[in-house]
Amino acid sequence: MAILSMVYACSDSFLDVPPTGSLNESLLSGALGLERSIIAVYSQVNGRGQRMGSPSNWVWGSIRGGEANKGTDPGDFSDINPIQRYEYQSTQGVINEKYTANYELVARANATLKLVAAAAADVTPEQKTLYTAQARFLRAHGYFELARGFDKTPYVDETVDLKDGAGDVPNDQSLWPKIEEDLSFAYANLPDTWLAPLSGIGKVNKWAAAAYLAKVYMYQNKFAEAKALFDVLIPTTYGGPGAGGKTSNGKTYGLVPLYASIFKASNDNHEESVWAYQAAANTGSVNNANPEFDLNWPYNTGADGPGNCCSFFQPTFEMGNSFRTAGGLPLLDDGSGAYDPAYNVGANQLKNDQGLESKDAFTPDAGELDPRLDHSIGRRGIPYLDWQDFPGKAWIRNQPNAGPYQTKKYAYYKSDKGSLQDNTSWTPGYTAINYTIIRFADILLMAAEAEIEVGDPEKARTYVNHIRTRALNPAGFVMKGAVPAANYVITTYPAGWAKDNATREKVRFERKLELSGEGHRFYDLCRWSGVYGGTPSDYVERVLGAYLAYESPKLPIALSGTAYGANDKFLPLPQSQIDLKPGVLTQNPGF
Amino acid sequence: MKKLYESLSLTLAMMLMLASVALAQERVVTGTVADETGTGMPGVNVLVKGTPQGTVTDANGAFSISAAPEATLVFTFVGYKTTEMAVGDRTTINVAMDVDLTSLDEVVVTGYGVDKRREIAGALSIVKTKDLTVTPTGNVEQLLQGRVPGVTVIQNGQVGSTSQVRVRGFGSLGPAGSNNPLYIVDGVPTQDVSFLNPDDIETTTVLKDASSASIYGARAAAGVIVYTTKKAKKGAKLAVTYDGMFGFTKPGAGQDMMNPQDFMDWTWIAQRNTENANAAAAGVAPDYAKALAAFNHPQFKGGLTPVMPDYISVGGTSGVVGSVDLAAEQLKYNVDPRKGSAYQVTEANKSGTDWYDELTSTAPLHRQTLGFSGGGETHRFYIGLSATDQEGTMINQSFHRYAARVNSEFDILPNLRIGENLQFTYRSILGLQGDNGGSGVSDDENDYLQAFRMPSIIPVHDVFGGYAGTASKGFNNPRNPVANREGLDNNKAFETFGFGNLYLEWDIVPGLTFRTSIGGNYSSAFGLGYTRWQYENSENNSAFGFNQFQQYNFSWVFTNTATYKKVFGDHGVELLVGQEALNTGKGWGYGQGGQNPFSWDPNFVNMTQVTTTPPNSNQFLGVNFSSYFGQVKYVFKEKYIISGVVRRDGSSVFGANNRYGVFPAASVAWRVSSENFMQGLSWVSDLKIRGGIGEMGNSNSVPGANQYTLYGGNVGASSYDINGSNTSATVGYYRTRIGSADTKWETSVTSNIGIDGLFFDGKLDVVVDFWRKDTEDLLLQVPITAVVGPGATPPFVNIGKMRNQGIDIGITTKGNINPEWSYEVNLNGSFLENEITELPPGQTYITTINPGYRGINPIRNGLGQGISSFFGYRVEGLFANAEEVAASPTQSGAGAGRFRYADINGDGNISDADRTFIGSPIPTFTGGLNFTLKYANFDFVAYLYTSLGNEIFNVSKWFTDFYPSFQGAAISERVKGSWSPDNLGASIPVFESASNFSTNQQSSSFYVEDGSYLRLQNITLGYTLPSALLSKLKMTKLRIFASTNNVATITGYDGLDPSVGGAVDTQFGIDVGNAPLDKSFTFGLNLGF
Repeated sequence: MAILSMVYACSDSFLDVPPTGSLNESLLSGALGLERSIIAVYSQVNGRGQRMGSPSNWVWGSIRGGEANKGTDPGDFSDINPIQRYEYQSTQGVINEKYTANYELVARANATLKLVAAAAADVTPEQKTLYTAQARFLRAHGYFELARGFDKTPYVDETVDLKDGAGDVPNDQSLWPKIEEDLSFAYANLPDTWLAPLSGIGKVNKWAAAAYLAKVYMYQNKFAEAKALFDVLIPTTYGGPGAGGKTSNGKTYGLVPLYASIFKASNDNHEESVWAYQAAANTGSVNNANPEFDLNWPYNTGADGPGNCCSFFQPTFEMGNSFRTAGGLPLLDDGSGAYDPAYNVGANQLKNDQGLESKDAFTPDAGELDPRLDHSIGRRGIPYLDWQDFPGKAWIRNQPNAGPYQTKKYAYYKSDKGSLQDNTSWTPGYTAINYTIIRFADILLMAAEAEIEVGDPEKARTYVNHIRTRALNPAGFVMKGAVPAANYVITTYPAGWAKDNATREKVRFERKLELSGEGHRFYDLCRWSGVYGGTPSDYVERVLGAYLAYESPKLPIALSGTAYGANDKFLPLPQSQIDLKPGVLTQNPGF
Repeated sequence: MKKLYESLSLTLAMMLMLASVALAQERVVTGTVADETGTGMPGVNVLVKGTPQGTVTDANGAFSISAAPEATLVFTFVGYKTTEMAVGDRTTINVAMDVDLTSLDEVVVTGYGVDKRREIAGALSIVKTKDLTVTPTGNVEQLLQGRVPGVTVIQNGQVGSTSQVRVRGFGSLGPAGSNNPLYIVDGVPTQDVSFLNPDDIETTTVLKDASSASIYGARAAAGVIVYTTKKAKKGAKLAVTYDGMFGFTKPGAGQDMMNPQDFMDWTWIAQRNTENANAAAAGVAPDYAKALAAFNHPQFKGGLTPVMPDYISVGGTSGVVGSVDLAAEQLKYNVDPRKGSAYQVTEANKSGTDWYDELTSTAPLHRQTLGFSGGGETHRFYIGLSATDQEGTMINQSFHRYAARVNSEFDILPNLRIGENLQFTYRSILGLQGDNGGSGVSDDENDYLQAFRMPSIIPVHDVFGGYAGTASKGFNNPRNPVANREGLDNNKAFETFGFGNLYLEWDIVPGLTFRTSIGGNYSSAFGLGYTRWQYENSENNSAFGFNQFQQYNFSWVFTNTATYKKVFGDHGVELLVGQEALNTGKGWGYGQGGQNPFSWDPNFVNMTQVTTTPPNSNQFLGVNFSSYFGQVKYVFKEKYIISGVVRRDGSSVFGANNRYGVFPAASVAWRVSSENFMQGLSWVSDLKIRGGIGEMGNSNSVPGANQYTLYGGNVGASSYDINGSNTSATVGYYRTRIGSADTKWETSVTSNIGIDGLFFDGKLDVVVDFWRKDTEDLLLQVPITAVVGPGATPPFVNIGKMRNQGIDIGITTKGNINPEWSYEVNLNGSFLENEITELPPGQTYITTINPGYRGINPIRNGLGQGISSFFGYRVEGLFANAEEVAASPTQSGAGAGRFRYADINGDGNISDADRTFIGSPIPTFTGGLNFTLKYANFDFVAYLYTSLGNEIFNVSKWFTDFYPSFQGAAISERVKGSWSPDNLGASIPVFESASNFSTNQQSSSFYVEDGSYLRLQNITLGYTLPSALLSKLKMTKLRIFASTNNVATITGYDGLDPSVGGAVDTQFGIDVGNAPLDKSFTFGLNLGF
């Protein structure tokens, strides 16, 4: 053995020890390698446990949009406090997470593109195109999140790596044209569906690319370009001129008949699922089971409720009030002057149990309400999915700090416990419910906006009414025994829509109701204010100003003294990125 | 002093007495040998010079030997000068032995050899074995604390936890372990010596500077600690020793937390303070009644005065006042979550639960070693059998080690020897908290912290015996730590080791010895564990979990050396050349978890009976090193010493371009005291000036894959349910690592100037070293732009520099007060300065090292600062009132009673730019004082350790001193001194709900505390049976002792213990939940036959 070792030691190869458990680039250059490479890109879309990097944008879109507050205790995950107070600091960990998680997505997409460029001989041109198109779609998504989050950030594609000076790329160019390029390519080259002979219905198809591209146009207020795509995407049954788009598993786009079924794991990959993050439970890692939502559950439920922890993301009073209807229609702001919708006034406000104990008597609001309220917000006395009636304060961690409501979308059902829910981590709040990044209702509502601007406002009305028609389906009401759990009164809009602010407000408000808590609101408010392109306006300032004026006195611990300012539309670039090399990155104004 | 040698000598004495042969034809010479105090010395070797004839003195120092008149008798005894007496016509010869004051002939184990202390030119320190055996600790490296100047040991109180040993500061900015010293055990390198039994150790040498350590070249920069284990002398008769230590560890008190009444009252004070702030913000008068009614605590209600409940839960109903029909309730009782919702009845513990006390208990310990040593003409051996069992003071912490050591050596030919050192070890360490073998416990949120987060009103158990906890509402989210710990009851884990070497030594010609050695370590680990399905907390684990793991690891080293030692008149020459090849360990590990077996009975549960999740598995190949080294030493008249050493190392972690590194060192020493001009200074017994300079390397931080750009993935990082199954995910591959083929060795240039002095006939022994270690080509994982993907690990490259410098001082003084009394005082001290002197161009701090503790980011490794420095806002005080807020720089969330931060940049606005360095965890001075006093047969030892000038970031205060940090959790007694309009001088802010920039959200000097301390670590009182008595008992030694450890600590630190470590070098000194060093009491005996 001694002699053996000596021989061993003296040979040149003794100091060549290969790495283990890893692959080099050449091992991934075949078609099978490309497939595994693109899976890693999809995987990163949800941030992989970096809660702030997920596309759900529950902090960035919903909390900043006034749909919810941080919830929980003042001191718990207090890094979110400055976000909900619009007091961003460039050193905040949550901001860094948003930035780095999306750049990881971009980098993974770039890695796939590099592998495609170096692909082995057995990879067909068609395969190369498919992987390129997927990677470019996903890269566009990463840059889209960066663009609307931070405005300008460095643009790097597959040709720029660390050794090529990626660290020297400044943030002086708009990302939007690059996003459009990638999505246009994806639209042109992705398949119709991923059904056999292809495989992988979790992948993006050409219709998803068209939808995303349309959304990107909408962000820049490029309504004509967007409308052209919406016309392609919306099937005849919803008033579109053609056959419409399809989901990756071949379903023609449509609205799921029952609103609650959008957020049900057993109903994943439905006709409304334009692009969803495929969540899965019990895979060996809760990173596949919507880890970004693990804190956003009722508190102290014991075995009687879902999640058990930690009372984050509690809907606001203002959001609750928004579901008030009068004659089946919402109580809209008139679109002029101060933003002062009637739902925040007097008896129009949603009755709630703030300040009451669970054992204290409470009768829920008897007034007219949009039925989507009780699919979106957990409130006292109304069944919380199939668990039990929401008990109010007993399931709230800190009511004086965060109010009487809990979020309800993306909560798992008692009947799905252990199967479509994952118990392998520190808390049970992990689910297999796909997070729908774009759903067909979103397309209809954006299409309605585009129709108002460059098409037919009456067509916009029909799009919005499709949404409301689904919502008014009594089969979809939350029931308490044999009767609806509340006085649900909702109708479609009558004819007479025109290209004016009042009509715009109808569509915008429908968006708020339909998509509440899904991470869109703050970005929509900015979009409607021309922040990403188009004509600037003070819409976001007016709406958020009104929200804070209404909400702060109710939750003074969390919101007292809060104001939304002009520099709050974009986050500051992470200080740690700026400090890497002075002079490369330019900080956003105000930081 | 007088009796010191007795215990040492008796073994030898008895053997030689038995062996002595009276040779009658010569005359009999008798006499006594006395020591420096005039007392008879037993066990002194008496030899007729030039013959094998000899004897030893008896217990009274008397001897009798036959010798011719022309013969000369030679008297020898370890630690005394050899004395020669010509017989002449005398029949009685009395000898007074002189202490060998210089001890300079003492042989010191060094790198790849031994050397006389007299001739050493480098900086090295030895530790006496007896110092390693006094304290009952599992890991021998802990025992170096305060024993060696220049060595910092950071330990914690968990049994069996790994300590962080740092030799002369910090050289590397890598992850945990990159600054660990290299350990050499019987010639075999290792990174972990926790398997060693202290009683088996013969010598411990710490090689500190390049002159002494560069022989280990590329792995020496963090210092080298060389251990040898026991082996008898040839010809020694069988000696049997028994060393036993028995005792217990007693937990100390926890932190002072509020009792239930105070907790309730202060919850009310917090609400009132909150209302004050809200009312002030709204410009209205506070309405406490309204605020408290809105608050309406689940237990204490919502009145102006809180109400103490009798029950905090009756089937989920909170704040129950009055009696409860327990018999009726018991029918509804359920604590099995499988059967549905928990139904518990929990009484308020109005007298208050001392959670820390509940979590800890007095823990027994013992360590026993049976040693057999001896030898014949051609062989020698040592067999050591040892058992150590030590329970932790926290529930379900334990350390068990059973070891068998066999060392032996055989002469095949007179000039050819074969030998081996082997140890087989079973070790089990259970219940450790914290990363890296428990050394990271202080910056973990763990059960120590839970003890200070659980409100005292909650009892440990509900009235029917289940666990109580925060499922009773109103107390936020601490988890019952007693339940947590008791849930570990059935966990099992153990490791087995086979460590050692086999060697051959051949004396080719006199002075020239060739040695070949092959050694290694095989270890394997197995374990299984359970996680509880909790019901007692507000936030519960929701499944019963089971996991198991196993691993094996095999490392080897093959060493060949040739040494040549020769003295030519005044010239002494020593040469060493060697070759070494090694692998740091290859093997694989496997782990798997699963959930919810049909039954929770541990005898039933196995991986077959649970719903499994995908396993984890990894194989590793270790790092290969191929090295050549040589050393030359020249000594002239034992006065001038010149030494040079060079080692060339090749390592597989580096690419072919930079695979090899050469590490030279040179040293000179001048024994000034041998010069004529010094002879007049009689108080100088010996004085040597040493100087050395050289290079040492480090690549510990560099992973084997550093040179490669790699792709990989796993279920957590990169899997996706690509087929929409809802229940499975396919693993994808992404770029996990960016490689660098150009990375090379990190090099530390060390210079050392030292003085070794013996004064006043050896009564005063002084060693002083001035040293500087400049680490160049610092291996740094340079923070890179996020745009290339933060998921890819950037390579370690050579950018940056660090400087460590310091002074090491060792002073020993000893002497006799009178024949009965003697003393020895040993003082070790080190001053240390550490500074990051260069970072990548443009970067002023390492942006990627930013550990967070509930939003507090306390660490910045910045240019011009020491590593792991604390960074944040400097608190100048607390705002007295709104006027002061208005008059101060703009600060978000400012208000009366909140932090007023310093406006460092003076721009009138408190922002990120006003953060500054607010402390350092690195002590400027550490030292130990060992005091030994002997009286007749009694010996008394006291040992003190101190660490001065270091700060601690006590982030545990975030949990206990601020109301909004999970309000409802326990409140520190300290809060009673918090700010109020009547207590403007307070340091703790106003106790209120607000959580913002000016309260508990930012890293600030509020958390920084002086971490200096002085600890009386050990007091031992021993009694050795007089030798006369021993002879009758046919024993060579019998000593009994009693000892107490961690007797007292003087510190201003608020936390449990100022000895605060952390997970890694670049982020330590943070205390979230530190494990304190507890008092232990032991007694024991040392026997020799």
